[in-house]
Amino acid sequence: MFSRVSTKSGKALCRSALRSTVSRTTIKDARRSFVQPSGADRASVVDVPSSYQEDTAFSPRVDMFGFKLEASRREGGPSEKARPIYLDMQATTPVDPRVLDAMLPYLTDQYGNPHSRTHAYGWEAEKAVEDARKHVADLIGAEPKDVVFTSGATESNNMVIKGVARFHKDRKRHIITTQTEHKCVLDSCRKLQEEGFDVTYLPVQHNGVIDLAELEAAIRPDTSLVSIMTVNNETGVIQPIKDIGAIVRKHRGVYFHTDAAQATGKIPVDVNEMNIDLMSISGHKLYGPKGVGAAYVRRRPRVRLEPILSGGGQERGLRSGTLPTALVVGIGEAARIAKQEMARDHARIKELSDRLINGINARVEHVVRNGDLNGYPGCVNLSFSYVEGESLLMALKDVALSSGSACTSASLEPSYVLRALGAAEDMAHSSLRFGIGRFTTEAEVDYVIDKIVAVVQKLRDMSPLWEMVQEGIDINAIDWSQH
Amino acid sequence: MAAAPTKQSLQKLYSSMLKTSESFSSYNFRSYFVRRTNSTFREIQDETDPARLAAFYAEKSNELAVLKRSAVVNQLYGGTRLVVEEQKPVRERGDI
Repeated sequence: MFSRVSTKSGKALCRSALRSTVSRTTIKDARRSFVQPSGADRASVVDVPSSYQEDTAFSPRVDMFGFKLEASRREGGPSEKARPIYLDMQATTPVDPRVLDAMLPYLTDQYGNPHSRTHAYGWEAEKAVEDARKHVADLIGAEPKDVVFTSGATESNNMVIKGVARFHKDRKRHIITTQTEHKCVLDSCRKLQEEGFDVTYLPVQHNGVIDLAELEAAIRPDTSLVSIMTVNNETGVIQPIKDIGAIVRKHRGVYFHTDAAQATGKIPVDVNEMNIDLMSISGHKLYGPKGVGAAYVRRRPRVRLEPILSGGGQERGLRSGTLPTALVVGIGEAARIAKQEMARDHARIKELSDRLINGINARVEHVVRNGDLNGYPGCVNLSFSYVEGESLLMALKDVALSSGSACTSASLEPSYVLRALGAAEDMAHSSLRFGIGRFTTEAEVDYVIDKIVAVVQKLRDMSPLWEMVQEGIDINAIDWSQH
Repeated sequence: MAAAPTKQSLQKLYSSMLKTSESFSSYNFRSYFVRRTNSTFREIQDETDPARLAAFYAEKSNELAVLKRSAVVNQLYGGTRLVVEEQKPVRERGDI
């Protein structure tokens, strides 16, 4: 309020100052009133040297009179824009406030090193870490000692794939994975290929699920590891992990790893029931903090792997380095809440996802859902024919969406996951991924439906292809290079 | 805590949880906790087993403390309105 008053009076002052310089030359004995400043000719102001580069250096413009007239940014100010709706839960999820509340003590007073054995600071941190380990283990049906904390699912995947392959490299030189895995799995495999390992990239069927017969045929006597993700990050396809686990278990000496970053806390996962030997978990996909993850490494029967990090021998020697207590507590609390809320969350996400799909299908035609229809409902991948995905994203300013995984969102390449599913290039280009989570509301879904319908309609109205389709011309029959 | 909580104490807990949930600044958290409070208390509405009621009361009392602290933190850092929200809502603090 004060600044507003001063703006007005500032303008008035400016005018009167102009007047006064004019009048001073004519009437010499005019009395100065209370608010009339003296002219610049009477002041001896020395400017700061040009080399003076500090942030606090502030040179007022003439109409400011020494006041800084910028209003501070505050809630509800006119400068503040409303935030877009977040529908990208596969990229990351917001930290649950209850998780943050559990973490805060370890970011303030309880700062001990969990590996310190000689004092109370260390003991309380160690207890917190062990409690968190138990929560994570409970979520996946494992024993607490089987859980190793890492920096995230990427590190877990690297550690497991490279670790198992390198440990058994003398006798076993073959790894099996799928074409639709996350980049960090595929890249770890590529690295191993450079080291001389054989890698089989299993193709997937049209719905994104692998063929079990093909998997069984691919297992060789020198196979050391099968790595297949539970829930795909782009399409939400759920692989038949239980059946895969049973097949892999039949072959002695072959270990089964699953990247469950998108699955833990969202669908029931049990390492014993599914015969999983190794598993990767990420903290920030289950409403926990970023920068922490976990790897499940089975101890009975023991899975041996070569650690990537060497050092103090923390985490059974598999991952040396001090544990970030607060982050570990965060993933533990997130796992506890996820176990407690899984049924409720899943029912709600299913409801919202049906609302989204039905809402869009009712009002837009030529929409294709990519991937298995019985996949995880919180990940809906839709292709809008005759509309380019990137321009759709650009037009949807009020919705935070992605056309695929965040790791590849910078490139304009069509998603390799959709290509592996057999989607045509144009359909892979026109896909959008909707990630629905615990905190999504009906109002948001309805808003997104309205926006999508309007934008798709607008973009199609501009498209010559769409016009041809409306006229009944078969696009695929056109020979584009006639001359 | 073997004795079952009275109807009034459950009612009181419910209303303070609801009030705390409504005091979150962030739209998504606020609507989630309001929805969750309503549904959990609706589930327990017809429960007569004193042991289960007592356990429920104890659990929710702990959760209320967590929610109160979380709401304060959320008020400190959160609160930019989403595009679906009414742009100038009036909210009361629920932690006092």
